[in-house]
Amino acid sequence: MPLKVNKLFTPFFIEKKSTRENLEAFILVSTAVFFNLFFGYFSAFFAVYLSFLDWDYIGPMRFVGLKNYVTMMNDLLRGMFGSSYFIAPFFTGLKNIVIYTAIVVPVQTFLAIVLAVLANQAVKGIQVFKVSYFLPATTCPVIISLIFIWLFMKNGFINYALGSFIPSFHPDWLNDRNYILPAMGLVAIWGTSGHFFISFLAALQALPREVYEAAILDGAGTIRRFFHITIPMLRPMITYVIVMGIIGALQMFDLAWVMAGSGGGPGGAGYTIAMDIYNEAFLKLRPGVAAAKSMLLFTIIFSTTYIYQRRYGGGIR
Amino acid sequence: MKLGKAVWMSFIYIVLTSFALVYLMPFLRSAVASFMSWEQASKYPPEWIPNPSTLENYVKLVRLKLFWRWILNSSLYAGIVVAGNIVFTSMAGFAFARLRFIGRDFIFSALQALMMIPGFVTLVPNYIIIYRLGLVDNIVGLAILGIVNVSSIFLMRQYFLNLPEEIFEAARLDGCEPIKMFFYIAFPLAKPAVGAIAVYQFLGAWNAFLGPLIFLRSPENFTIPVGLSFAFQRSMWVEYTPLIAGSLIASLPTIVLFILLNKYLIKGIVVTGGKG
Repeated sequence: MPLKVNKLFTPFFIEKKSTRENLEAFILVSTAVFFNLFFGYFSAFFAVYLSFLDWDYIGPMRFVGLKNYVTMMNDLLRGMFGSSYFIAPFFTGLKNIVIYTAIVVPVQTFLAIVLAVLANQAVKGIQVFKVSYFLPATTCPVIISLIFIWLFMKNGFINYALGSFIPSFHPDWLNDRNYILPAMGLVAIWGTSGHFFISFLAALQALPREVYEAAILDGAGTIRRFFHITIPMLRPMITYVIVMGIIGALQMFDLAWVMAGSGGGPGGAGYTIAMDIYNEAFLKLRPGVAAAKSMLLFTIIFSTTYIYQRRYGGGIR
Repeated sequence: MKLGKAVWMSFIYIVLTSFALVYLMPFLRSAVASFMSWEQASKYPPEWIPNPSTLENYVKLVRLKLFWRWILNSSLYAGIVVAGNIVFTSMAGFAFARLRFIGRDFIFSALQALMMIPGFVTLVPNYIIIYRLGLVDNIVGLAILGIVNVSSIFLMRQYFLNLPEEIFEAARLDGCEPIKMFFYIAFPLAKPAVGAIAVYQFLGAWNAFLGPLIFLRSPENFTIPVGLSFAFQRSMWVEYTPLIAGSLIASLPTIVLFILLNKYLIKGIVVTGGKG
């Protein structure tokens, strides 16, 4: 983004003081630069370095080349050939998080758009809807998970509420390997869609009215207006929401840690990459392998969001 | 046509209201259940009226001394993070927006680039740094990691850029030095942005889990999310209801803050969200 520096309005008497301005400006930015240099850049480069080391935090650091990456790839390969969660935890985590992202991101984006379009047409009470939809997004994920553990119990409230629609449906969500991931997905959708609803509503309110009036004159119905005007015009915001959704979903940790437990629940069905990185670094005490895995996670996040923005993100830089 | 519109509008309100119920239901359910015995709260089909209504869950919670420690730790953590961000990011944001100095644009884009690195990459190295500094299991050690947030700098810079330039030029002409200009002119004008940053950072720190989980080791140093998940995993209570009561109390600050400041917060989400 180009900075607006008013070149014309830089008279000589300000130029003269520029050493002083430089000095004082550096004082003002020094803390920000220092902390981010240290905990941001230094740590990021250290992470890369760490991924080539064999180390247990205490003993001597040994440079082992690509060994950590080989360990990681072996895990992935074993998983691909059908090994169980105990032998291929990283693969399990990767597989789970991909499924989870594929469920959560489209559903929460779609839900947020539909609710925003409807709320945009409502005349009264928008603020009430905004507040109630957004409240989950401001609440701590751990606390949400704890409450949902109770709601997801076999004889819990969610089965009761669903039972009035589908009577025979009565799963033990968190103890069934087929349902634990969808359960976490539902909680995530419930928790984040309100945030994106607000983003979409703001984008909708900024859209020009004339286009809609012209479309109505041309006889376009509600559904057609939605698909042919609203969705295309919202595209920059949709891209933003999907990219943010992917970034968040791929790093999901809190929900799984609380709802599935640190082991990942029944058969590792609730295990995620983030949990595996945590376990690798702080349980198995192999920070090198953890760093290698975090490099892969970074690559996945960066490439998916980059490719997505290149392909669909006309409106985003 | 008129009738069609009325039907459409009522459809909209029915959908919106049912979703509002879906979003609020867990809160309502837990508010009610926190006054129930576990026996009643786990009944199927679920019951809505606490009978007998009991404060037993809250009493159990109050009796657990650790719970208050956790609340205190969370407040301390959030306090340090909020204070640090207010002071340091407003200074940096002002300098990046309104001062001319060598390497300004380069430094700013270097900071911005950090936003693309997921927290998981720097997690282990930061743990090692904090460990070497001897600050593991210490709220301060945890808090200094979040004391200068890049997105706060971004928000602050954006805010100062949107203030009319004339204010600062006039001060310059009067011979006001940059640091003085910051304290006497810029900072007092930045109340809305400072408020927004304070709220976001408070929510972020109060709700944070992964950082506190890694950097805090002993139960009396936990923050409230780590503490509650610890209480759950160690089955501190036989029943689940004290945990529900604890969850409610722990989320009360964020709920109250949100209800008081919702207009303001939602506007902030829109401002930051749109700019990416």
